[in-house]
Amino acid sequence: MFRKPVDLVGAAAFLAFMAALPLVFRSNYLIGVLTVSVIYGIWAVTWDFMSGLTGRENFGHSLFIGVGAYTAGFMNTTFGMPGWWSLPAAMVMAVLFALLIGLPTLRLKGPYFALAMLSGAVIMQRLMLIFWEHTGGEEGINGLTPLIRNQLGFYYFALATLAAITALLLALARSHWGLILRAIRGDEATCQAAGINVTFYKIASLTISAAFAGAGGAMYAHYQLQVSPQLFAVVTSITIITMVYVGGMASIYGPVGGAILLVLLTELLRNFGEWRLMVYSCVLIAILFFVPGGLVAPTWRRIKAARGWGP
Amino acid sequence: MLEILIVGAVSSAIYAMLAVGFTLIFGVARILNLAHGTFYALGAYGAYFFTSSFKLPLLLAALLAVALVAAFGIAVERVLIRPMRKSQLAMLMITLAVALVVEQALFLTFGSEYRNVPAFVDAKFTIGGVSIGGARLLALGVGVVLIGALWLFIQHTRMGSAILAISQDAEAAQYMGIPSDRIFALVMGISAALAAAAGVLAGPFLTVQPTMWLLPIVKAFAIVVVGGLGSIPGSILAALMLGYAETIVGYLISTSWTEIVSVAATLLMLVVRPAGFFGRRASF
Repeated sequence: MFRKPVDLVGAAAFLAFMAALPLVFRSNYLIGVLTVSVIYGIWAVTWDFMSGLTGRENFGHSLFIGVGAYTAGFMNTTFGMPGWWSLPAAMVMAVLFALLIGLPTLRLKGPYFALAMLSGAVIMQRLMLIFWEHTGGEEGINGLTPLIRNQLGFYYFALATLAAITALLLALARSHWGLILRAIRGDEATCQAAGINVTFYKIASLTISAAFAGAGGAMYAHYQLQVSPQLFAVVTSITIITMVYVGGMASIYGPVGGAILLVLLTELLRNFGEWRLMVYSCVLIAILFFVPGGLVAPTWRRIKAARGWGP
Repeated sequence: MLEILIVGAVSSAIYAMLAVGFTLIFGVARILNLAHGTFYALGAYGAYFFTSSFKLPLLLAALLAVALVAAFGIAVERVLIRPMRKSQLAMLMITLAVALVVEQALFLTFGSEYRNVPAFVDAKFTIGGVSIGGARLLALGVGVVLIGALWLFIQHTRMGSAILAISQDAEAAQYMGIPSDRIFALVMGISAALAAAAGVLAGPFLTVQPTMWLLPIVKAFAIVVVGGLGSIPGSILAALMLGYAETIVGYLISTSWTEIVSVAATLLMLVVRPAGFFGRRASF
């Protein structure tokens, strides 16, 4: 899975650092911020698995997140199911939506997929407001039960989930499967000519990405104890894409760093209040212009190269 | 019945103004402009701002708003999009980022509450027993005139021929001495101006708030997919279809379901005929 022992050491050190942080500082505020950053990490890494590897930009990742969160909300409050059922249910629902949009659009070249995902998320957000009798409208659904009552316990659960998902996706990305996805990004026509069922690989990787993003959405819902239409917002998708760009696209582990970095930075930007999103969008533009390769993954590669730890 | 006919025509005209610009800049410059809805929002806010803050007469405010938005569109193309032309992906990202920056700027200056854009005509007219606002009729009339004028411009002027030539084969057109960069800027200006005009005209009867750029993008995308990416006649036809389909769904079933029409139409069309009605190619 890890090509170099140094990658494994780096990952272990990072995990240990993340696990130790709340033990050292012991503040509920910090645990909250870290939990959110870890959940964003799940979303960023799943985005990168589909869009970073195949190069098909998904502008509506919030669709899967929102669907997962609302599934959790309905399961937990309307049907009174225990919280743990939300995770598999959210994954199934997110996969259904992924197939609904992926099947017609991913067999085509061009921007159809990117725009259809964006449209899907926008319309779902509208529908949550229009059918407010069932969805709670702007207020959303309140009164979910927490998965794990202990805040620190939930943080460790989220961190473990993130680690597991990242390890799985990284393994996939470095396998034969990932090679094909990268090849698709390079030249789709050639892949097709080589007898690779390009559409199958694209849709399968979207499904995997959606499933885990939906699970992340359900976790977020059970952490916030409520869901709102804001989860579907384009801003959510853009935040995630920015994290991936900061992390370094198609590196899988980079976006995790990007997500944690940006959530912590956002906390520092708290004083900016309403200017926060503006700063965010400007960061995105600046990154697109000046460091299109990202920061986290290239830095790690550079450290390794400088120390002679191998590429 | 007549009501459906008229109301449908009005929304079709607005959709057409949005979609024609969206498809034009794509067909000519291969820019998929996610900031297109932003031009529409800026048009509406411009008319509001100039009439309320500077107390300008509405016509002047409207023209000023459209001109400024066109200039803004050209500036965005020149400064932000042009360096990104190598990659579709980066262009999508940068235009979406522009849209978000503008949304936040509008939010910070005007707040999130709804604003009222004054209408050119406040009177209500009755046609065949159907009462309809003058602002809506004006939107329909101006929309038809503007799109007609654009059609004549493209078909009958030298500049229009240059635009057509680039949309057919950008490289060959450049070999013939057509300055493609300048044409891109021109087309971006036209496209932005049309969207801004739609915003000014629709402002009085639609909600004007910072996130108003989003739905038009969704609608324009649906229209452009149904009509065929890059085709102007296709997008006019599809705008009519979507405008009427939404109106009919609104009357027969419920207005709640109108929003679904566009996405359903997009997905259905992509399954049945990805090239759209008038598209030249299924992919590019």
